[in-house]
Amino acid sequence: MLDGLLILLLFQFLGEVVIHLTGLPLPAPVVGMVLLLLALMFNLPGGERIAEAAGALIRHISLLIFPLGVGIVLQWSRYQDYALALTVAVVLGTVIALVLVTLLLKWLMPAPPERPHD
Amino acid sequence: MTELVHTPLFGLLLTLASYRMAVWIYGKAHSLPVLHPFIVASIPVIVVLPLVGLSYEEYREQTGILSFLLGPATVALAWPLYRQLRTVRQVWRPVLITTLVGAALAAGISIGLAWWLGAPEPVVGSLAPKSITTPIAVEVVKSTDGFVSLAAGAVAITGIVGALLAGPVFRLLRVRDDRVRGFALGLVAHAIGTARAFEFGEKAGAFAGLALGLTGLVTALALPWLWPWIAGWLF
Repeated sequence: MLDGLLILLLFQFLGEVVIHLTGLPLPAPVVGMVLLLLALMFNLPGGERIAEAAGALIRHISLLIFPLGVGIVLQWSRYQDYALALTVAVVLGTVIALVLVTLLLKWLMPAPPERPHD
Repeated sequence: MTELVHTPLFGLLLTLASYRMAVWIYGKAHSLPVLHPFIVASIPVIVVLPLVGLSYEEYREQTGILSFLLGPATVALAWPLYRQLRTVRQVWRPVLITTLVGAALAAGISIGLAWWLGAPEPVVGSLAPKSITTPIAVEVVKSTDGFVSLAAGAVAITGIVGALLAGPVFRLLRVRDDRVRGFALGLVAHAIGTARAFEFGEKAGAFAGLALGLTGLVTALALPWLWPWIAGWLF
């Protein structure tokens, strides 16, 4: 757990360093994620030690995001003028995207080899 | 007594207790998407904060440690992504094309709808990353000058809507391939969709996890460059 957290924080910091040096308009944790992914693909020694810490953080992402997300209700006065636009964009937008992405995948994905009677 | 409300302990306890209860209810309800912990846990918090006279800004400060952990949680996404990259090597081409087109569609449709219905720039910018996993979305929204709380809420609702409608949509479109179900759910509905995908099976879950990681990555890398151009064109 400790090793994992150490590696994750280190890569987040490396992300910050890259952003600081290059001035790229990217989120530092995302750069850290890419660096860690590359390190894992090039067989970072001890890479599997992040499994425990990574699993714990990812499992509870809903908890980590909660104080931010609840603001949509607690700051509703800020957003209520756009209630219609928000509802349509979020609900209808999600449905349309789901249908289009599913159709695209159905079209692109080769048939699975071992399922004759689908 | 009242000063006890103004220590970080209060906000953290309230959040953890509400969330623990919500997770319990979610388990009892067999993971029904409308009872997602995010929705259920918000009820006691929304009721208690005004009752004890705590502002949202102060609550955010008290729970700052949770928000801080979103950073390492984002970096941690590299781990499942790495594990799943190896399992789907045979279909990398459809996976890559769908990620690029699908990420653009998911963001573009919500940007277009919100803009068409008259939402101002920061509101539209808050919705652009709504299909990507929350820790990445709250980072990306800083580069689109959106509201963090609106983005986080829109992401959660997107996940819930996607998970709820996946069953009917897949039936209507006659989708029986678990790779398609999983990837579509993970792309459009991030972590909540991934949890739903696991109900279709292990393979669907793995494809959903892969889609979640790739879509978050592609959107985070593209949107900060494209947003000034999109915003300049629309507003």
